[in-house]
Amino acid sequence: MDARLRRVNKEIADCKNDKTSNIRIDLVGDSPFHLKGSFPGPEGTPYEGGNFDVDIVIPDSYPFQPVKMKFITKVYHPNVSSASGAICLDILKDAWSPVLTLKSTMISLQSLLCSPEPNDPQDAEVAKHYMTSKSSFEDTARYWTEIYAGGPGSKSGRVASSGTRDDIAIAGLDPQHVARFEGLGFARGQVIDVLRRLNYRGQNASKISEDRVVEELLKP
Amino acid sequence: MSSDYEYSDDDVDYYDDEEMIDGTQDDYTGDSDDDNMMDFGGDEDIKVPQKGKRKSYEVDFESLSQSAVEKLMAEEVEYICSVCGVDESVASLLLRHNKWNKERLVEKYMDNPTTVLVAAGVTVPEPSASPTQRSAPIPSTPSSRRSTRSASSRLLNTLSGVGVVGGPKPTKSPITSPTLPHHTPRSFKPKPPSSSDPFVCPICFDDTPSLRTLSLDCEHTFCSNCWTAYLVSKIRDEGEHAVRCMAEGCALVCSDPFIRTVIGPGSPAESPAQEEENKKAWSHFQELLVRHYVGCTKRLKFCPYPGCTNTVSCPAAADKSSLVTVVPTVSCGARGIGDQITNAASSGGGASGAGSSGWGLAGKEHKFCFGCNVEADHRPVVCPVARMWLKKCRDDSETANWIKSNTKECSNCQSTIEKNGGCNHMTCKKCKHEFCWVCMGPWSEHGTAWYSCNRYDEKAGVDARDAQSRSRASLERYLHYYNRWANHEQSAKLSIDLYAKTEKKMEDMQITSSLTWIEVQFMKKAVEEAERCRMTLKWTYAMAYYLAKGNEKDLFEDNQRDLERAVEDLSELLEGPIEPESIPTLRQKVTDKTVYVQKRNEIVLEDTAKGFLDGRWGWNVVVEGFDDPEGVEY
Repeated sequence: MDARLRRVNKEIADCKNDKTSNIRIDLVGDSPFHLKGSFPGPEGTPYEGGNFDVDIVIPDSYPFQPVKMKFITKVYHPNVSSASGAICLDILKDAWSPVLTLKSTMISLQSLLCSPEPNDPQDAEVAKHYMTSKSSFEDTARYWTEIYAGGPGSKSGRVASSGTRDDIAIAGLDPQHVARFEGLGFARGQVIDVLRRLNYRGQNASKISEDRVVEELLKP
Repeated sequence: MSSDYEYSDDDVDYYDDEEMIDGTQDDYTGDSDDDNMMDFGGDEDIKVPQKGKRKSYEVDFESLSQSAVEKLMAEEVEYICSVCGVDESVASLLLRHNKWNKERLVEKYMDNPTTVLVAAGVTVPEPSASPTQRSAPIPSTPSSRRSTRSASSRLLNTLSGVGVVGGPKPTKSPITSPTLPHHTPRSFKPKPPSSSDPFVCPICFDDTPSLRTLSLDCEHTFCSNCWTAYLVSKIRDEGEHAVRCMAEGCALVCSDPFIRTVIGPGSPAESPAQEEENKKAWSHFQELLVRHYVGCTKRLKFCPYPGCTNTVSCPAAADKSSLVTVVPTVSCGARGIGDQITNAASSGGGASGAGSSGWGLAGKEHKFCFGCNVEADHRPVVCPVARMWLKKCRDDSETANWIKSNTKECSNCQSTIEKNGGCNHMTCKKCKHEFCWVCMGPWSEHGTAWYSCNRYDEKAGVDARDAQSRSRASLERYLHYYNRWANHEQSAKLSIDLYAKTEKKMEDMQITSSLTWIEVQFMKKAVEEAERCRMTLKWTYAMAYYLAKGNEKDLFEDNQRDLERAVEDLSELLEGPIEPESIPTLRQKVTDKTVYVQKRNEIVLEDTAKGFLDGRWGWNVVVEGFDDPEGVEY
């Protein structure tokens, strides 16, 4: 597929020449059809200061079929799977147009970080967190940026002082809540798991009875 | 008998057995003569619907070839042309966008032609703020997709320069007036490259001066090679018949003449391989259009047999609500599978229910149920009940477990859907219905209340567990019906083997005794009849399983018992030893029994069908389309 190669080479070259957009695209191996893109987290968002890597696979029928992208860097975002990095973005699916390029798609990803779309979530638990308490969500997203994307806090802050990653903060939970159920004799990991699943955060915590949590904890 | 000999020449055809029975048992049913007239009057292509008296367990239907369907489509297009005053390609796009509902289309069109034209992607919307800016986000049309990601495209426009290299000049004559309903043919003729600035295709970055370029009315220009690759990819890989312009956010749809110029016959191709690709894509496109039309038209359905291109029209079963009163068993008239399809008029198969001949798949008639796709002929049971029963039977199989755990049915069109990634916002590929994967409710109701899904899911989990324990309690009862159901299916299959053996024996007998060919044919008719009756019996068990207790059920089971007894007697006769001396007696017995069995079968089918028409049957469970039962007993 000659046209596809020509196009991809040109796109890679364009990215290299363009110094203003901060988008980087690198080859993963020898093939120009498997790439790694990266871009800085947008300013004024919890992702600011982080550097986000994206796995890019160019399908055979590119550019007539959309490029396949997923985050390599873990991102705490309603439209990105916190486990797999899969992205829910219309232009990567049915709204794809052949005039879109790797760079423009990367810029769209960047803008997706600016404007989450919790009503159309990829990661339901993160979306719930976002809807329940935006500020708490942002704290967690910031923390993820620090520990996974090399955000600014990584130099000072929590990570350095404790030396280990804070599982409670990763899950976006209140340490007091976790301590309470831990005090009942449950393992910390299990408590974090259940509370995260139940979205035991902010106002929502008062709506979930203790019995309900214990019931979940006791499930095999 | 001398005249009967004529038939022995063409030994395997469908007509013989019919004739034989008619010749020997003229009294078996009153309208046998009508049936014969119909059989031989059958057209080559189109199966003549049942004339005259129709049994209450049969429906009227008509078989159409692909070209016949295309003719129907052309009529609809022509109608829109004359009513709305648009040309054919526009009418076709309008109809496709409006799911071939011409009444609603005309109404909407008369109301506001511009909106309709824009929604169908025929014309570009009124130029927004700055018509000269090439990639200005095009306002989403009323029916179009959500605009959730508009932020991204806005950002794109400000940040990105890539992708618009050498795009059409902003100064070019902008957009054709969208208010003109009757506009001239599209401007997709090749455009000479602008002299001042050489054209570079924004997709493949080809800048050869002699590049052939094309665009739709929106003036988004690309090279013809990209158009070809794009259309082929959309049509062949995605099965899309409404292909949008390649520009981002542009909602204009490629018209049929445009697609024809790009990939149709005579379109330019770089190589013979490319030409072949184009040819395939073009014919696939034609097929997609027919599929879309048939899919949107309730009285039409494709013949589901592999490789068959016929369509069946059955207005009686067009309405879903009619499926509680009729069992629309139809046939497209063709036989065979794949390359061996023969489109010869069948000898009164399908609707008349008589004369299905030819064993095995090769000569199998294309009989299917118009109302559902569970089984070709599930008379006398109506579709919802048959579906329920088969679902129940299949629930134990591994495939069913897999399907159950990995797929769901679209709540709108019942297509089975596997979710292989992405978020819970699903859009059915077939009917474009948007729904939530978690609760299967329409997505439009979700919005900000997305979280109700969580609670719903938990409740459903509890319900599922309850249902499981209940089903275990009634397993005993179910097995009673299931064993009999499966037994009849098995017996029907075995009787075919039996027939093969018997036939051999019969042939030998023709040589060793003075019996003629025609005199030993009674066996074939008997086996066929037994098989047909076993199919009926099989389904009566599915029916009885769901029938509510009461007099009606008792009567039904009496009829069922009579038929079953008669069929078992007949089977016993067929399995007995055959000696040359006893042939005349056996023949008499078998023939009598066959007639009797046939009558009993008629009674069961007739009575059950009438019962559905009268709304006589009550169920012990909630059956789709029926009123809820008063007291559920099981």
